[in-house]
Parts: sequence; C-alpha cells; structure tokens
Amino acid sequence: MKQFRERVKRAIWTYRQPLTKVPSRPGAPVSDLFVWINNADWQTCFELMDIPGLFDGPDSGEEATVIFFFFDAKGEKLKTVELRAHKNARYCVNLSEHLTDVAETHGTFCVFHAFTPAAVSYLGSFVAERGYVSYRYRNAGLRSYVHGNLDAVALIDGTNLEMLGSNSFLRRTFNLQCAITGDAEYKLVLVNPTSKTQMIESALHDADNGKLTDEWRVELSPRACHIFDIPFSPDITRLARIRSHLVMARPVVFRISNQKLDVFHG
Amino acid sequence: MSFYPILKAPGCTGWTTLYNFPPNNWETRRASEKYVSVSWSENDEWKSTTIGTIKPSSLRTIKESEVASSCPRDSLLLLSLSETPLPTSSKSLPKPACPATSFPAWRATLGLSAASASTSYQGEIDPFPEKGSLLTFGPFMQFADGIENFLVLVNVENSAHIRTSRVELFDSKSKELRGSFPCRSNSITSVSLDGLGFTAQDLPLVICRSMSAIPLYLAKTTDGSFLSLEHTHPPSCFVIRGDRWGVQRILKNRWFSETETK
Repeated sequence: MKQFRERVKRAIWTYRQPLTKVPSRPGAPVSDLFVWINNADWQTCFELMDIPGLFDGPDSGEEATVIFFFFDAKGEKLKTVELRAHKNARYCVNLSEHLTDVAETHGTFCVFHAFTPAAVSYLGSFVAERGYVSYRYRNAGLRSYVHGNLDAVALIDGTNLEMLGSNSFLRRTFNLQCAITGDAEYKLVLVNPTSKTQMIESALHDADNGKLTDEWRVELSPRACHIFDIPFSPDITRLARIRSHLVMARPVVFRISNQKLDVFHG
Repeated sequence: MSFYPILKAPGCTGWTTLYNFPPNNWETRRASEKYVSVSWSENDEWKSTTIGTIKPSSLRTIKESEVASSCPRDSLLLLSLSETPLPTSSKSLPKPACPATSFPAWRATLGLSAASASTSYQGEIDPFPEKGSLLTFGPFMQFADGIENFLVLVNVENSAHIRTSRVELFDSKSKELRGSFPCRSNSITSVSLDGLGFTAQDLPLVICRSMSAIPLYLAKTTDGSFLSLEHTHPPSCFVIRGDRWGVQRILKNRWFSETETK
C-alpha cells in the first residue's frame, strides 16, 4: 500500500511529462539548445564531429552536412549555417566567425546532422547532438568545455523546429548542487526547451542560514536564454534555487575567478 | 546511492563538495543529517571510515589532503552520504543509504586545482560491471605551446580487487594505434595525450575492451594558471529514444573489430 501511494505521488510529476518528448517524425535529427556568447570578452566554439559517420554504414559518405541554427536571446531565429563534417575527424568551429553580421551578444543555437544512419532508424532512435561547446574568456590560455544539457529541439523535414521539452503540470524547484562561493563571479544561464513561454524565478540563499539574498523573475520564450548575473558577495557562500514549470531547469554555470573561466552544467 | 570520487590528475590536487539536499523538490522530501564517509580498496577489501556529518540543506568541501593520510597512497578515494554509517570493511562496495534522484542524479562538485586555477564538473560514480568496456571519442585536446593534455579514467567496481586492463588510443580516421597504456580498476589512471602524434583535426578514439570507466579530459597550462576539464559521453548518448543500448552495441562492435590489434 505504501509503495502504491509512492507511485501515485511520483506519477503526478512524471505522467505525460517526459524530460524529452519523442520527435513527431521518424529519423528527425535532435539537438541540444546550446548557448553562444560573442563579444569583446567572449568567444564560443563548437566541436563538430560527423556522428552519423561513426556508424560507417553503406549509405554514409566521407563528408556529411551539419546545419547550425542560431537564435537571439529571445529565441528568434537569426540565421542558419551549413557546414560539412569530415568522417572520423574533428573540426573546432569558431562560432564568432559566423556571427560577424549579428549585433546580438548572446543567444542559443542548435546543431542538426542532416543524415540518419539506417541502423539508428531501424532501432527507433534519433541522432542527437549533445556535444561540446567551449568558451574562451578574455584571450585565456585555454578554452573551457561544457557538454550539452538536454535534448531540446528536433528538425522536421529540414526546416521546421519542434521543441521537445515538456511543460510540468506543477511548478518545480531545481536546487543547484553547486556552491556559489564568495571568491568568484558567477553567471547562471537558463534556456527554454519547450514550446510555451515560461516564467522562471531564480533565488539565492545564504548557505549558512538559508536567508534569501537575491531573487529574479524572467519570462523566457521558446528557444530563448537568460543570463542571471550573480552579484559578487565576497563574505558568504550561496545556493541557488530555480522555480518554473520546466521538467528540469538545469542551468549552465559560468564561474570566473581571477579572470579565469570554468563552465559546467548544474 | 552513488559515490563521489576525489579526483587526481598530474599537477593538480583534488577536492569534492558534497550537498545534503536533493537537486529537486519532488523526487524525495526526506531531509536528514547524513554521515560523510570515505571508502577505498585495500587488500581486496573495501574499507570505509566516517569523517563527519552534514546537516540537511548544508554542504561540505573535502580536500584530498584531509583524507589521504588514512588510506594507502594512490588509492581512489570515494566519498558518500548515508543515513547510516558504512561498514568499516566489506568484500563488496558498500551501498550508502540515501535517497536517489534522476532529474537529475544527486551530484557533487568534483574539482581539481592547480597553482592559480581550478576547474570542476558536477558528477557522481556508480560501480561499473566487471564485464564492461569503454568506447569514446575525445575531441578536447588543445594545441599551443605550454599546454598539456591528459586522459583521466575513473573506474569503480563492486569487487574491491584491483585488476589491470589496457586503454588503447587510436586515430579514428586511420585506425592507427597511437598508444597503449595500463589502467586499473577501482583507481584513477592518467595518460598523457601529448606526444602521440594527434593533430587538431584528429579525432582520438579511446578503447578499453575489458573495463568501463568515466573518461575525463584535462587540459592545463604547464604553469598551472589555466585548467579545463570535461568528460565525454558513452556511445548511447549519440542517439535518443528507441533502443539506445542496441545503438551502443553496434558502435562498439564496429569500432572494436576495426581496431583489433593483432
């Protein structure tokens, strides 16, 4: 009986609320909703690999088409760029070179592999790009990498975008298991992988006594992103909580200490 | 419940921050003070010792230097949170009594620090099956004077016995073997990726045919002023939905047979 009650309680949070919906078209490629930042201090790169080529089926060639969709911070499409990925090789794409005609300084982007291997379709799966973005901050000696956060968007029939994130029936709290320490500057970046506009409430609490120190509310359109700039507070450690109807409002965390960048997802 | 390793890598010291609160408000509402333990493998047994407690909604950072003296040198140090103390000695990896979560998993901050920089990622580790294997592609090498690149493999298995396997590094395009190194279970193995002939356009392929591991990639400047750390995904993450494990089997079968060394 106790197990049954536990299952019912959990079902309120999981019934018809998957983290990622199934794309409506078999074989549709899927991408994360990555974050790009491009200005005098920031440069964004993407590691391009021919994922379908790794299967080396009889239907794969030496090069494959990969389509980048760029969006502004409100989720509005800016441009698409088609690149060729060489099989079994690596190409670090400097996204700044493709954004020289864009006035915006940050936004989101998707990466779709145009080809789906027969073996993947046969198994009912979809090729997903969850790969690796890197950021260079103020000409640092190294780029800092972060992998994709969630499978967010499908490309249907080569042109239409289908958002795969679910809307939660109830508001959920995401407790960031990461200390916001007093010796660094932090940015938390959230994206909206759903097809509905989402209200996001973010709050910081003192880790010692739980007292609220800062809070924000923003509205995010589909595909939009928001950078929460955490005010610098040298004397305390804080913890962040994010409330929304997103199934998992997990941010990308940028930490800058002594001009050095570290990036990871929460 | 998972474990949280204290990382080790050349030129760096490891630290781990544990959090005694779940990553969301709905998968578990049970709040309790938890024991913090460190576990390690010694003489084919898992040893564990309690190093303190964490109150609900609190966090604690543990550095390698705080716990290393209790354990044999070069041990993989595994931290855990548990509502009851772990057995001091066991043949099989102990199971910390703590609620588990999936959206996301209950994680810790796993960090490395060098002279004037630090890097971290949010992670956890669960025991790998002994019959597991590793196939991963690592596009993280950075190339410039004064940059060092390392592959750092982290393995934990239920059995405390430390066994040795081999990790092989290939160029994905030519299938040429660029290096082969021993790696151990219940340990952290670091391999330098420099000097193996990889260029910026090469896609390193990492294979271990008889052991699974978390593959981390560390880039650091030789003066310790910059660090970069990330892990790659298993091949099942190249797809979503359907039979992802079937997809992983296809990729492993293909690449294992194409790189079979005679």
